[in-house]
This record gives sequence, structure tokens and C-alpha cells, in this order.
Amino acid sequence: MKTTTTLLLALAGAVLATAAPRTITIGLVAKSQGNPVFQAARVGANDAAKELSAQTGMNIKIDWRTPNEEDAQKQAEAIEQLVLAGAEGIAVSCSDANKLTDAINRAVDNGVPVATFDSDAPASKRFVTYGVDDIECGKQVMAELAKVMNGRGVVAVLAGNPNAPNLQKRVQGVREEAAKYPGITIRDVYYHKETPQDAAARVEQVMQANPDITGWGFIGGWPLFTEDAIKWQPGTVKCVSVDALPAQLGYIRNGTVSELLGQQCYEWGHRTVQLLIDKIVNHKNPPAVKEISALIPVTKANVDEYAKNWAKWLPN
Amino acid sequence: MPPFLRNLFRFQESGLLIVIVGLGLLLTVFSGTVRIPAFERAPDGGRQRVFTVNADGERVPAFVVRNKFLNAQNFAQLAKDTSFTAIMAVGMAVVIIAGGIDLSVGAIYALASVVGAIVLQHFGPEGAAAATAPWLGALLGMGACVGTAMLCGLANGSLIVALGVHPFIITLGAMAILRGIAFVITKGQSVGGFPEVFRNLVRFEVGDGLSVVPLLVMVAVLVVGWIFLARLAAGRRVYAVGGNEVAARFSGIRVERVKLGVYLISGLSAGIAALLSIGYYGAATSGDGQGYELNVIAAAVVGGASLTGGRGSALGVVLGALIIQMISSGIVILGIDQNYSQIIIGSVVIAAVVLDNFNTWLSKRRLTQRS
Repeated sequence: MKTTTTLLLALAGAVLATAAPRTITIGLVAKSQGNPVFQAARVGANDAAKELSAQTGMNIKIDWRTPNEEDAQKQAEAIEQLVLAGAEGIAVSCSDANKLTDAINRAVDNGVPVATFDSDAPASKRFVTYGVDDIECGKQVMAELAKVMNGRGVVAVLAGNPNAPNLQKRVQGVREEAAKYPGITIRDVYYHKETPQDAAARVEQVMQANPDITGWGFIGGWPLFTEDAIKWQPGTVKCVSVDALPAQLGYIRNGTVSELLGQQCYEWGHRTVQLLIDKIVNHKNPPAVKEISALIPVTKANVDEYAKNWAKWLPN
Repeated sequence: MPPFLRNLFRFQESGLLIVIVGLGLLLTVFSGTVRIPAFERAPDGGRQRVFTVNADGERVPAFVVRNKFLNAQNFAQLAKDTSFTAIMAVGMAVVIIAGGIDLSVGAIYALASVVGAIVLQHFGPEGAAAATAPWLGALLGMGACVGTAMLCGLANGSLIVALGVHPFIITLGAMAILRGIAFVITKGQSVGGFPEVFRNLVRFEVGDGLSVVPLLVMVAVLVVGWIFLARLAAGRRVYAVGGNEVAARFSGIRVERVKLGVYLISGLSAGIAALLSIGYYGAATSGDGQGYELNVIAAAVVGGASLTGGRGSALGVVLGALIIQMISSGIVILGIDQNYSQIIIGSVVIAAVVLDNFNTWLSKRRLTQRS
């Protein structure tokens, strides 16, 4: 009887194994739910899951677990919960690398590979990190700004969460590059809560208190995610911003922003899921631990062409 | 009705227990199973993967299948995730019972975390005092963390008593000031690199990697909170002040001293939670605990603490925190789209409060009928 039952169970298992494709769940933990760049990453991850499911015959699912607002502790909890819930791989953009290192290491020790995107945890056991080189990004913002300001003027820098390691590096890059332009003075770096409204309000406050500012370097595009955030007349103050989301493109068209440097935020999700599936299914590591994605310059010349990408990148 | 069930329904927190049991049953039934890699103890005491030999004679990693909710790892995780909010909620309950409110607990948590972290980093492997005995550094860091939080609580209480301003205003101001101080002293940088002895203490594990220290501390805070509120005269004075401040004053209770004490307790509880957090996660930033005041107040209210004062219990608020965390973790376990998580959590919080109120009404009705 026992043997018959075992055989039946084995047979049922075999039938199920042949009938149902393998399901792989990838946890996606971004920094904050409301930030549009992470929604684009989510779309990218979902698209990669669909494409890879079709290619491999497996059922690849994305489990999006992102705090409403930036909170590294909540991110660490999400990683731990995803491991317990059976995720086979995790992609994370770290709000605080120090705080997430242990959670990432525990996931890896439990057989769950982790990839970071956008903001890395370099001391952790993540097998790959995908995103811009943040110091170079800061340098590029400052170099482009210096170009449109003809190397002269007072610059304000808009940053977001002061604890985010990627933003700290971008600020460092801005300062390093600014040192090359004796005619340029950095008034200060202004932080905010990384919501479009807070960012727009901060820019307005700073401009009222410092009317001599002639250039803004936004190392994230936060204030431009709202319409009518910029109060200056086109051309009076020069501005270069990281990110090139749909809401930002209008500022290029009307001339209030000189140049956007688009991060490949759709690829944060898309490429990271590809790398994770390669690791989980084929046990393949990428050629290098750091995979750098370039910034895409968006100006009046290519804004309409670039805008077409967003039809694909935004959630339906 | 059997005597056991009758006694259970008489129990003040029975409504919350019913919600917890119900949620647990739902999660057990609907969570399904998960296939996870099997581990065993290595000869060096660490963990190592278990391997088996398949039909082709190949050595392949072994897996175990278990219920996603009903397993020891998940319970330890649930307890750990609940502990930070629950510990602060016990302190918040004392404040709310006294008729006050403390909006600064999240900021106290952040400031205590960074002050403790700075001291711990000083004695950490790469700190200036790395050569000092690590346990001394750990003790000083723990003292700095909890001491800072108590000072913040004392400052809140003193201002509320001395200025006679509503605690909402004082603690709202304190929330911004304390977070600002945390930012200034850290310059926005994450502070990590603590003595291993401290991290090992907080992350102490039993069995198959179960972190039990946050759970034990939460239970200890619950027991102390329960004894204080339910068994000590000082605790009864808190209820008296919250129930009717004027009557309490006329009956000889030193209301100002009680108010000062409750904010000190709230600060202390935020300090204990901060201590666990930096020990467990190994770093602190000025952004820590952002918005936690609302989670803590929600846990206290779900746990039966009345915002008008005079009602609530330590056990209730811990159960309230557990309910909120069970829903939050349950959403992950059930694989529910996170877009709906806030709607679900908000709805269940309201349902839990309604059920608890209904149970209280039933108890009062039974008492009235009996008398």
C-alpha cells in the first residue's frame, strides 16, 4: 500500500512537473513607490519577465515590494520577506548601503542571488550592480551646465535624500567638475524629501532667497516631474537635470531647461531581470560586477524622438 | 458556551486575539507552499547547503517544501519586524492613556540611532578607539542611544508641562528639531561599522538562523509595560490623568509629574527600538524612522488605546502592532500586488478597531445585564 501511494505521488509529481512550467519569482525592491523612475524600472522588469518567459518556457514573475517613501529598514525587511516567500532572485536599489548589506548577504547565503540597480551596496555579496557611474554623472551635469553658462555664474545643486549613497557620489562629481571652472561658484547643495512638490518648493525658496543664482544642476529630476515648477523666464537661469521623464520633456521644449541627461531607468528593471535570470537559470555571472549604463542627453534637437520611448516604458 | 471560550471573550484583548488567529488561519490556508534550499550545520558551526544525488548520479542541491506562513523562520521574521513598532507603541500607549500624543517618536528614534551609532562607530573595528575593549564600546553606545532618547522624552515632557502648550504642537516641533539635529551631526551620511560584540548580541540566533533578541526585548517591554499600567499605583495615576485631568488634580495626583513621566517613557521606548534597529541593521542615518510616528499611533489605536485618554493596555498595543505587521507581511506572502497594500492595511485597521469596539460593547452589555 505504502509503495503504491509513493508511486502514485511520484507519478503525480512527474505529471505536474511536465504539465506546469517552472515558476521563478524575482523580487524588485526600489527606493520609493511614488517616484516615476522606479515605475519605469518596474515596467522594464515586467517586460523582461514576459520576454524571458516566452524564450525559456518558464513562468517568470516580478514581485514588486517597494516602500511608499524611502526607508532602508523597510527595504531590508522586504528582502527578508521575499526570501521567506520563495523569491529566487532579488533586484534592489539601496536607500542606505550600510543598512542593506546584511539583508543582501543573508539572502545570498540562503541561495537567493541579489543584483543592485541605480544605487549599489558595494560591500555586500550582490553579484552585479547596474546603473550609471554616479561620480561621472555628477561631473557630466556640471560640465554641461558650465557649457551653457559659458563657464561663469552662481550655481545651486538640487539633491534628494541626503543619505542615498548614489546621490552623495553625484554631488561629489558636481563639486569635482566645478573645481575646473574658476568662474563658477557653487552656492550650496539643497536636499529635500524626493517628492516633486517638495522639490519644486525647495527650488522656489532657494531662488527667492538667492536671486543671483544663474544656474541649477538637478542631480535628479524631481521638481520637473510636476508641471509649472520652474518660475524663471526661459533663458534667464540655465538648468541641466538628470532624468528625462515625460513630464520633464516640456521644460526642454519651452526652453526653461537646457538639457536633460536621461538615465536608463526602464533598463534598471529590464537589464537587471535579464542578469538575474541568467544567474538563476544558466548559473552565469556577468563579465564584470559593475555594469555601467550611459546617460542619454536630451535637448531640443532630439526631444521628440526620445519622447516616443515613453509609450513603451510607462505602465499601461 | 464552554467556560474556556467564555473566559476568552471576557478578556479585554480577546477581539484582537480573534483577529490575529483569524489572520493566521487565512494566511496558513491561502499562502501555499514554498520550495527553499535546505541547509545544515557545518563542522565549523556555520551553515552549509545540503546536497543529494539525483537519478543520474549527479550531486544536486536539496530543497525543502514548507507552508509560506506557518514556519519558524517566518514567525521569527514577523516578531522581529513587529518589535520596533510594538516597543515604541507601548511607550506611545502610556502617553495616549494619559491624554497626550507624541509625534516625535520617529525623530527620537532617528536621533537616538545616530548618536548611538556615532559612539559605536568610534569603538568599532575602524574607529578611533578600536583598541578599547569592544564590550565597553558596546555598553557606551547602548547608553548613548537610550540616554539620548530619554533626554528627548524629558525635553518634550518639560516643555509641555512648563509652557502648557498642547503636546501635539510641542512634539510636532520636536519632530523637526530632532531630525534636524540628527542630520547636522551626521551630515546626511550613514553611520556604520560597530563592534562585532554589539552586533552579535542583537543578532543572536537560535536553531535554524532564528533571530530572537528583538522578540525577547519586545516581550520584556510588554511585561514591564503591563506591570506598570495594570499593577503599579504610578500606572493607575496615568489612567486617572487621561480619564479626567481635573478630577485627578483634585484627588491629589501631581498631574505635571505624571505628564513628565509619560513622555520620558515614550522616549525610553523609542530609544530601545532604536538600539535594536542599529544592532540588527548595522547602521543609522538621519532619515531613519521617517513616518514611524503614524505606524506607532495606528498600532496603539488598533490595540485599543483611546485617543481621548484613559483607556488602553500594553498587551493591546503590542497585539495591534502585530496585526498591522501580519497584514503587511501577509501581502508579501500571498503575493498580492503591492499597489493595493495601503488600501488593504487601512481597511483591516478599521475592521480591527470596529471588531474590538464591538467586543467591548458586548462585554459592557453582558455586565449590565448581569447587574
